[in-house]
Amino acid sequence: MKCRSVQKKLSAYQDGELKPLEQEEVNRHLLSCRSCREEYEQLEGVWQTLGRLEEIRPDPWFYGQLARKIKEPLEHGLSPAIQRVFQTFGGPAIASIILVIGLVAGSYLGSNLARRDLFPSQSIPVSYSQSAFFASMSVFDPAPPGTFAEGYLRMAGYKENESR
Amino acid sequence: MPNEELMVRIAKGDEYAFQILVERHQTSLLNLIYRFLGDRTKSQDLAQEVFLRVWQAARSYEPKAKFTTWLYRIAANICLNELKASRRKKWLRFFHVDRGEQAGGEDDFSNGSPSPEDLLLARERSRQITSALQSLPENQRMALILKRYDDLSYGEIAHILNCSVSAVESLLVRAKKNLQEKLKFLKS
Repeated sequence: MKCRSVQKKLSAYQDGELKPLEQEEVNRHLLSCRSCREEYEQLEGVWQTLGRLEEIRPDPWFYGQLARKIKEPLEHGLSPAIQRVFQTFGGPAIASIILVIGLVAGSYLGSNLARRDLFPSQSIPVSYSQSAFFASMSVFDPAPPGTFAEGYLRMAGYKENESR
Repeated sequence: MPNEELMVRIAKGDEYAFQILVERHQTSLLNLIYRFLGDRTKSQDLAQEVFLRVWQAARSYEPKAKFTTWLYRIAANICLNELKASRRKKWLRFFHVDRGEQAGGEDDFSNGSPSPEDLLLARERSRQITSALQSLPENQRMALILKRYDDLSYGEIAHILNCSVSAVESLLVRAKKNLQEKLKFLKS
């Protein structure tokens, strides 16, 4: 086995992940090759150094806190996944939801109120060319048809007529 | 009682079985997270989060792999998500005026009361190792921790990280090479 191929396998050799035959081959090579042996000793040195990392212990109240948490979702009525989403995105998420709802509701109300024929009795029969002319002139109105403002004005006018 | 049997009981809502399972795995799980994130307080919270998921997923748990492999897979996902979230928070914090707050990820070794010199030295060395680990890319770090401290096989690590065995091998080769450079001064 050549040095290059041994050095590629040193990590797996160290972790005992080579097949028994390969493990034996690397082992034999290390006994005879000083440079590969040094390389392996360096790896071992790192492994030993990592072993000096201190171990921490759980807090004495670890399970107590956990036991409380497993009952929380029932008390709050929200699943932990939803709670996490709110914790992470919180304010911006709520603001965006409100904005989207506002936009959708606004455009729906605007177009519906403007297009709804609130005064069927007041409509006068006109020819197609006349109605096209009137429609084209409507762009100069302060509240052109199809806008929320027009819908509001028509509704307000309708209520006034009703009260008379 | 084996973990799998405890899980069957937990699925039925047995809190005592859950407590046994938690007490059995809390230290190893806590240390896995701590070594990965390097933050003691956050590690406690995230370890609880992992167990919370175990409690919630108990009914759907099927013992296909070793219980610890399943447990560590949950932990690895939570750790990786936490890293993503903390990166996002750091980015958001960039726009805030308050810069006095610590960026997180630092551990609290320096908060203790005065200790004997050898204890301080050991802690300092530990801090340096933690910092070297933190500097590794996420997958290399997780693979290395699972191998070094939990002695899992390449196959188990591959299952946890959702990658192939050869990918684990190459992750570990690179992780060890990187650490060799970073920890040179500690060996001398």
